[in-house]
Amino acid sequence: MSNSHQSDKLLIGRIRDGDADAWNDLISQYEGRLLAYVQSRLRDRAAAEDVVQETFIGFLTSLPNYDQRRPLEGYLFSIAAHKLTDFLRRRGRRPTIPLAPEGTSSSGWQPDAGARPASSIVRSGERRGLEAAAVTDALAEQIDHWRGRGQWEKLKCIELLFVRGMPNKNVAAALNVSEQTVANHKYEFLAKLRTAVRKQNLSEEVFPELYQQQ
Amino acid sequence: MTMTKAFNQSDLEAYLDEALPPEQMARIEKALRADPRLIGQVSAIHSRRSAGVHSLGDIWRGGRLSCPTREQLGSLLLGVLPDDAADYVRFHLEVVGCRYCRANLEDLKGQQAEGRETVQKRRRRYFQSSAGYLRH
Repeated sequence: MSNSHQSDKLLIGRIRDGDADAWNDLISQYEGRLLAYVQSRLRDRAAAEDVVQETFIGFLTSLPNYDQRRPLEGYLFSIAAHKLTDFLRRRGRRPTIPLAPEGTSSSGWQPDAGARPASSIVRSGERRGLEAAAVTDALAEQIDHWRGRGQWEKLKCIELLFVRGMPNKNVAAALNVSEQTVANHKYEFLAKLRTAVRKQNLSEEVFPELYQQQ
Repeated sequence: MTMTKAFNQSDLEAYLDEALPPEQMARIEKALRADPRLIGQVSAIHSRRSAGVHSLGDIWRGGRLSCPTREQLGSLLLGVLPDDAADYVRFHLEVVGCRYCRANLEDLKGQQAEGRETVQKRRRRYFQSSAGYLRH
């Protein structure tokens, strides 16, 4: 566990005990980055400050449910994102997104052949948490491996492919490498992740991307 | 290219999380207002997530697995981060466009610029509006 994660845990413990100084410390530590995050979207300082204020209130009211294994900064950003989304909806800037009726998918994004529709693999929250944790660990290990060996090109390549969703061709252009190099990095990454997922005895249908065409 | 094809799956997932750079968020919002098919696309992602189907991008982004630490961002500003690590951090900020890391960087840059009194006043306001929710 990192030092900052450890000190956040101690801070949260004090806040859970009702320590007002600890709460003040948390506000001082995090308000600046939260304000920058919100303001980048609103371009309205007063409104951004209101959203951050709601974020802190939201944090305290959700504290009994906060899982301390989750990094504090990420948790605060996720609350800020919800509060910001609500604010933008109220202002009419952000449309409400309904859940798609069962069996419909206008996106064409349902997993490819061989995978089942989402409705057939609804699983418990606990199970979902375990699956996500297993993949998170495998991804984090892989990223550490690349960083430790200075394999920045592989990290950049996989980040563009899976986080930005760019096609191989665009990734190759962005990184100034050949498409074959991108395909090789992708193949190697998927093979390692598949192995990690199998070791955890997780179902293939949970992560259709791991079994897609190269 | 149709409007619906203008955004890829990862863009739309990140949109739902308020994780894209503001200019991209605005582009998607504009497109959503004009194209009901795009609403359907985002709605399908929303449903899939509710059913527990994970995407690697979701997990990577949500866990902030490749984000530099705040200390590394500070070192970048001071120009003391090793070249290869600095190159990656710039890539993460500018090409990937990580909104959380951009916010951290803006905050670090702004700490010197903003007056102490203004900051203290704002923090007092946050404290006073929320302290009542502390356990007593």
